[in-house]
Amino acid sequence: MILLRRRTELGLIVVGSLITAGAYALAGLGRDAEIPANLVGFLGMVLGLLVAAHIAVRRLAPDADGILLPLAALLNGLGYVFIVRLDEAQADGGRLAGLQAMWTAVGIGAFIATLLFVRRSRSLERYRFTFAAIGLGLLLLPLLPVIGRTINGSRIWISIGPANFQPGEAAKIVLAIFFAGYLVERRELLALSTFRLGPLHLPDPKHLGPILVAWGVSLGVMTLQRDLGSSLLFFVLFVVMLWVATGRTTYLTLGGTLFLAGAAFAYSQFSHVRDRVEIWLDPWPVADGAGYQIVEASFALADGGIAGTGIALGTPTRIPEVETDFIFAAIGEELGLIGATAVLCAFLLMVGAGLRIALRAESAFDTLLASGLTTLLGVQTFIIIGGITRTLPLTGVTLPFVSYGGSSLVMNYVLLALLLRISDNSVAARSPARAGA
Amino acid sequence: MSNQIAKLGVGLLLCFLVLFVQLNRVTVFGAQELKDNPTNNRSILRDFDAPRGTIVTADEVVVARSDATPEGARFDFARTYPEGDLFAHTVGYFSLNLGATGVEDTYNAELAGRTLDLTFRNFDDLFVDRDRVGDVRLSLRADAQRQARDQLGERRGSVVAIDPRSGELLALWSWPSFDPNAIATQDFGAANAAYELLQADERDPLLSKAYRERFFPGSTFKIVTAGAGLASESVTAEQPSYPVASEYTPPQTTRPLRNFGGSTCGGSLFDILRVSCNTAFAQMAIDLGPAQMVETAEAFGFNAAPPIDLPAPARSVFPTDFDQNLPALAQAGIGQNDVSATPLQMAMAAAAVANEGRVMTPRVVAEIVDDDNTVVDDPEPTQWRQAVSAEHADVLRRAMVEVVERGTARNLAIPGFEVGGKTGTAQLGTDPPRSHAWIVGFAGPPGQAPSVAVAVIVEGQPGASEQTGGQVAAPIARAVMETVLASQAGGA
Repeated sequence: MILLRRRTELGLIVVGSLITAGAYALAGLGRDAEIPANLVGFLGMVLGLLVAAHIAVRRLAPDADGILLPLAALLNGLGYVFIVRLDEAQADGGRLAGLQAMWTAVGIGAFIATLLFVRRSRSLERYRFTFAAIGLGLLLLPLLPVIGRTINGSRIWISIGPANFQPGEAAKIVLAIFFAGYLVERRELLALSTFRLGPLHLPDPKHLGPILVAWGVSLGVMTLQRDLGSSLLFFVLFVVMLWVATGRTTYLTLGGTLFLAGAAFAYSQFSHVRDRVEIWLDPWPVADGAGYQIVEASFALADGGIAGTGIALGTPTRIPEVETDFIFAAIGEELGLIGATAVLCAFLLMVGAGLRIALRAESAFDTLLASGLTTLLGVQTFIIIGGITRTLPLTGVTLPFVSYGGSSLVMNYVLLALLLRISDNSVAARSPARAGA
Repeated sequence: MSNQIAKLGVGLLLCFLVLFVQLNRVTVFGAQELKDNPTNNRSILRDFDAPRGTIVTADEVVVARSDATPEGARFDFARTYPEGDLFAHTVGYFSLNLGATGVEDTYNAELAGRTLDLTFRNFDDLFVDRDRVGDVRLSLRADAQRQARDQLGERRGSVVAIDPRSGELLALWSWPSFDPNAIATQDFGAANAAYELLQADERDPLLSKAYRERFFPGSTFKIVTAGAGLASESVTAEQPSYPVASEYTPPQTTRPLRNFGGSTCGGSLFDILRVSCNTAFAQMAIDLGPAQMVETAEAFGFNAAPPIDLPAPARSVFPTDFDQNLPALAQAGIGQNDVSATPLQMAMAAAAVANEGRVMTPRVVAEIVDDDNTVVDDPEPTQWRQAVSAEHADVLRRAMVEVVERGTARNLAIPGFEVGGKTGTAQLGTDPPRSHAWIVGFAGPPGQAPSVAVAVIVEGQPGASEQTGGQVAAPIARAVMETVLASQAGGA
């Protein structure tokens, strides 16, 4: 059992690395009709990083799920190939690809460190209020003077020395841990309805209070920072975890109502929210202004068609922010519907694996945390791909593992490590041989 | 919690399904609409930076080609037009910022190698380092086109030569023209400046007058009136004999319509066409009535844009709202009033007479070949309209031959060939008098179907006599026809 999972993982990692190297070779062929000279070195680097992660899993979480790491590695590798390809087409080329390689290494370091320091996922439960404080602190950091930075209209960055971070990326995971801990403790109480508000039967407000405060503060902070994508993601996370914990559909109804009210309020009060919605409904009048990005993304996807133009044979660099939020449009243009669907499937498999871990988790906390982390991954993917394909109004978030972005990549590896840790613990708990170890 | 997790899984699965459906809409089902969107210049940008087929004339002169640019240039290929202004109105230009015109526009897919025939061949060449593009072979001839340019000189006007049997155009020239190299240059600032200068020119050199501008056809229109008479069966080569007169007063008015210079004329169809008798043709139009006149004019191609393979051809106009305005009908019968025609339309009218009444679909492209010189597209000649019956066309043809042999179009005669023609002088009502000098005609070896038809207009010439067309326009038409006939004899 143990060996099978790890052997599967290793096999899939090799396959994923070969796909990544193949895409890298195609990008070279597309760009200047030559297979890149450093192809073997590139493959070695990819394999080296992933085998390090694999060995860490083998040592630290030998019973963990075997497909999450290879899927993440495939998405990360494909994203990296596209960042290299997009970088080289830009006038000031070469900058992001090197950074993304470094962030990938840091991400895998964070992955190993998480497995190393979090030996039992339930130990996180104890520090739930500490995590609440850390999460809120992280969210507030960018609002501080000196280190806070506003980039592209969003005040979600901090600068320390030469490096920029988005502490919000870490806050999502930290707050998911807090929610899981708090909800597990109170879920029976929260499932009781002792308080009536109109047609709704609600639990005692004093049980709901702390979580509403945490949620309200987070949303408020994110709104102040003009980070709509994260606000939406956070809101969905909160409602979904509350519902999973209690099984009360009232929370979904209430959440939906609150969301509509919040959306209506934001639409009427904030011009940037109104602009997003109007561009989503009809980008054509502003096709060379505010709607340029989404219009160009649509053109890129249309150009790609079923099979795509081929890597480095399209013109995705016309799309602003194509290496970060809009990388999926570049994939759609150059790999077509087929490649874009493969990416969707990879995320869907990750979501499936995450929920399976949640179902099999040894404790309610683990179940809830795994559901929350999986929701984060799945919903974030849905928000950005939905935005790019005009399924939803566009709100800028990264495509997990694929987009350029250090904070996002590193924190997604941490998320992955936590899921693997929960998975490992659940198998270990059922295995008598390791139960006493 | 398992229950909720299962539902959460279903919910997320549905979210991804929605994404998948929407992705299909954007990349496949709605893709064409996005590609056709006017703000989407991706395809032109891609074509601009790709190899592109050569355009050659029927006599093998390269008129447009793509050359590889030096290393380090912004684009890999540059489009050049070695013949300069000679084919600017037909081949057009291919510019990144100013779009494409002419054959560069209508045959863009073929030139870029994107048509089905060319792409299917591409699969064979998947691993060969070569791009397949289509080369376009025009039906236009550089020798005829140069002759038209030389003969017209720096006079505003147009020359159209057509093969009546196939509808293939042999020459299509208008002066003033422009140099497409100035617009297709990759120095976009210079291109814009050149374009603005051309746009500011009141003579509008960017516009091909030959197929995109309408003029009063004057007496050349009498071919159509005669055709209407024959089609109605009320006019034959012999009957009726129109009264010899110097003026004719249509019903509903007291203002008479006069012959040029107050001359008197009349007689049978051959007589009145030979001397271009206004009074007789005005009376013929009145006798036939509006319905017959409109029907025949439309059978010749009026009131519809000709289906030529060039962008935005102009529609020639024959009014349909005469109601009971018979004086206007009388004027329309001699090509005045609101009748207006493109030089292309008048060449097609002459060609129809020469081709047993058949108006062929006009074309400037003869075939598409790939880079192995294999013909991938060789469109068959198709008939667009039937102007008059073959029998009536033969009467018209003989009448037009008489106009050359013994009438106003003597200057069109080419020794050793049977030539027919009709002059026209469309007075512009200016003081001093100025007119558009017209001639239409056809020529071919005696006893055979005519192999070339022409229309020539020289705009705004001094004078207003019926002789103007024969003196000014006929020599140009004759020279162009001679060039074509010589090449046809040599090539055969």
